[in-house]
Amino acid sequence: MGLNYYQIKKNILRSRKLVILATNTAGSGHPGGSFSMAEILGCLFNKHLKFDPKNPQWENRDRLVLSKGHAAPGLFSNMAVAGYFPESELETLRKFGSKLQGHPDLKCPGVEFCGGSLGTGLSYSVGIALAGKIDSKDYHVYTIIGDGESDEGQIWEAAMTASKYKVDNLTVFLDRNFIQQDSYTERIMPLDERLEGDDLSEMWKDASRWKTGDKWRSFGWNVIEIDGHRVEQIDAAIKKANRTKGVPTMIISRTIKGKSLEHMEDNPQWHGKAPDSDVVPIINLELESQFMIAPSIIAGDMTNLENEIKRCVSGRSDYIHLDVMDGQFVPTKTFDHLKIKELRPLTVIPFDTHLMINNPEKHIQNYIDAGSDIVTVHAEVTDESSFGEIHDVLKQNQIGVGFAINPETELPEWSYKFLSSLDQLIVMSVVPGKSGQKYIEETHSKMSRLNSILKQHNFSGYIEADGGVNLENIGSVFADGARAFVGGGAIIGQQDVRIAIREFRDEVLKSRRSILLEKSNELGGSDLVNKWIGLHVIGEKREQIKKIAKEAGYIE
Amino acid sequence: MNDPIMTDMRSEYTKTLIQVGKDNPNVVVLGADTTDSLKTSSFGKEFPNRFFNVGIAEANLVTVSAGLAVSGKISFASTYAIFLPGRAVDQIRNNIAYPSPLGKKGLNVKLVVSHGGLSVGPDGGSHQQIEDIAIMRVIPNFRVFIPADTIAVSKLTRLMVNEYGPFYMRMARSKTPLVHSESQEFQIGKGITLRDGSDCTIASCGITVRMALEAAELLQKEGISCRVLDMFSIKPIDHDLLEKAARETGCIVTTEEHNILGGMGSAVTESVSESYPVPIKRIGAQDMFGESARDKEVPLLLEKHGITSFNMVKQVKEIRNKKL
Repeated sequence: MGLNYYQIKKNILRSRKLVILATNTAGSGHPGGSFSMAEILGCLFNKHLKFDPKNPQWENRDRLVLSKGHAAPGLFSNMAVAGYFPESELETLRKFGSKLQGHPDLKCPGVEFCGGSLGTGLSYSVGIALAGKIDSKDYHVYTIIGDGESDEGQIWEAAMTASKYKVDNLTVFLDRNFIQQDSYTERIMPLDERLEGDDLSEMWKDASRWKTGDKWRSFGWNVIEIDGHRVEQIDAAIKKANRTKGVPTMIISRTIKGKSLEHMEDNPQWHGKAPDSDVVPIINLELESQFMIAPSIIAGDMTNLENEIKRCVSGRSDYIHLDVMDGQFVPTKTFDHLKIKELRPLTVIPFDTHLMINNPEKHIQNYIDAGSDIVTVHAEVTDESSFGEIHDVLKQNQIGVGFAINPETELPEWSYKFLSSLDQLIVMSVVPGKSGQKYIEETHSKMSRLNSILKQHNFSGYIEADGGVNLENIGSVFADGARAFVGGGAIIGQQDVRIAIREFRDEVLKSRRSILLEKSNELGGSDLVNKWIGLHVIGEKREQIKKIAKEAGYIE
Repeated sequence: MNDPIMTDMRSEYTKTLIQVGKDNPNVVVLGADTTDSLKTSSFGKEFPNRFFNVGIAEANLVTVSAGLAVSGKISFASTYAIFLPGRAVDQIRNNIAYPSPLGKKGLNVKLVVSHGGLSVGPDGGSHQQIEDIAIMRVIPNFRVFIPADTIAVSKLTRLMVNEYGPFYMRMARSKTPLVHSESQEFQIGKGITLRDGSDCTIASCGITVRMALEAAELLQKEGISCRVLDMFSIKPIDHDLLEKAARETGCIVTTEEHNILGGMGSAVTESVSESYPVPIKRIGAQDMFGESARDKEVPLLLEKHGITSFNMVKQVKEIRNKKL
């Protein structure tokens, strides 16, 4: 089974938007902590939790306990996306008569724990896990605790109890976002090494300071430390936890409070505050404008692709683009599924396999078996029937379905019916088969034609730009609608992949900021532009955004 | 009165748990490092996979019990009174009383404590819980019992197994005199008339029931007919029985080893003042803490707070003059 990467991503996006809808309508609530755990819940709900929304009390269901109950909007939005109740019901959050209480409550079928009083959910989870052991049930208990609530002594009472009774049917995520209500956790009650200076970035940057894992290890837990916003890391950690017998597992997930919205990220003010209505459309646009960087390893040393994978890992790429060329569909030959299979154990980062081969339907199973997470086939070598076949087998295997068109190819009409369930559309901006080509400028106008077709047919996947993308043009390619960027020479060709990727991200960020400012200006003129800028209080963001707004003439 | 037969509540509690545990595989028992004292460790020897000792961690004790209960278990969590309501009231409220699965009220957890009230003795004021009834009585969905003897303990334990929902039951540390017959029935919200009378009513609970019976005996010798009620079910309280006593006897003395503020006496007063107000005198801890007293000195400690049959006699005589 593949990771189901794009489907999880899409549902996480839907959930985040519902959190905004719910807290805005309610006029209060906790978006920050809902967003820091969004990927964790997304991965659980869309991949690992066994549940039946039609039968919430199904006795063999896995149990999800949200100990940090103030993040209720995050839980409820995932439950709505999972089908427990209509998404529109999020508008009743915190209202009189609603089952969606300010904190999770058994009033809402499917909720397992009444949260609100912090520090208690772990003990409760231990009780559920013990009951599962007594009854020899094979359900699993997943619990999310916060770092703020780890101040509570009861967390550690429960930690000892779980360890004593060897509840290996319990997996806990620590949503380590470094922020609690009053301020940063390391100021209020350090979980890691005490922070002496004023430079808060030390909390995240300096891994030698991190002691939380040691704490849990010393309590007898299996401890896994991950980036809590990386779906593939969460997935891998859960699988590892489920394989671990005799001890409970703690997955320390380093996260960012308010993740996905620049003005909320790492900002303690958004612990418990709802967004205003006038900025909601801008927020939603920002949420829709998440992006990913995928280095293409064939631009590196073809004799040592293993090393190129390692460079992608240390460079923190979002996924890895694998160009498979057969020497027939394109003149060049690169590697095939056997190589992918060899590379697969090197990383959990999703493999974005781009098949530039003839008769892809004949080979698709090999690429599934090799461990691809997304497989893209070309319009030029498929038709309605063969693509339909490929589409179905990929979906069955929880692998992202990609479709690619060459520069001279228009989206074929037969493909329209697949657009709504398509995960990725690669719009080639060079002629495939050679690396080092220049971006074909006509792609910009092609993108604008494509966008209207895609919208018409409810495309909800990601457009991936592939070919000649570099620091100079990535901003405009993003503005065209691309959300995933393949980087060949511009990334893999660079000495330091990590810096190259960071520079790519910065350029996209600039482009995104100007798009959001344009939207602010369109909706509310300079007042709203100023308000939007004013929301950005952490770090250098405000000045940078202000500069863009001035240059665009939105403000004086 | 004859010399009483003295029996041990803690032993009876665990004996009953083991009996019901054989019939009902869902009964689980939890403790917090007081399981030898409470005797519940014997349940653990009988059913090792249904017994959990969470150490000196009462908050954890309460919440783990809740997690088991929400998964279909009938959790009996036990330690000393001072360490449950006195220490873990947030967990009791938010993890047991508040969470209500559809169609139910609260979770199926029974908090059964020992060492309630002043009669704890030598451990001193820090261990003498005189506030638990006040605390537990105001938490919605909880029902509150104070049994007078081991017959009540056994029958109420069985009752709690069969009756869904959160309960609090407070036992005494020392052996207690038998006051009930084996055939006595116990129902939620139903007080027991142990002795009829027409001039006054003593509403009692726990170890003060025997004292009330002794007081009634003494009063009888002086020609005063005193009714004695065992109000073991403090919540819900038996409004009908209390109204009847108020109408028929015209005055009420309450007795308990709990603060007179918020305890059984307060519950009786609240009830009677809404149905048929009559003069009421509350005997109990006089809004002051207890203190150490060796076992044989416990009567002196109780006397300091007026918890004696002699004081009951005195108060009955005084309150009869205030009848409306």
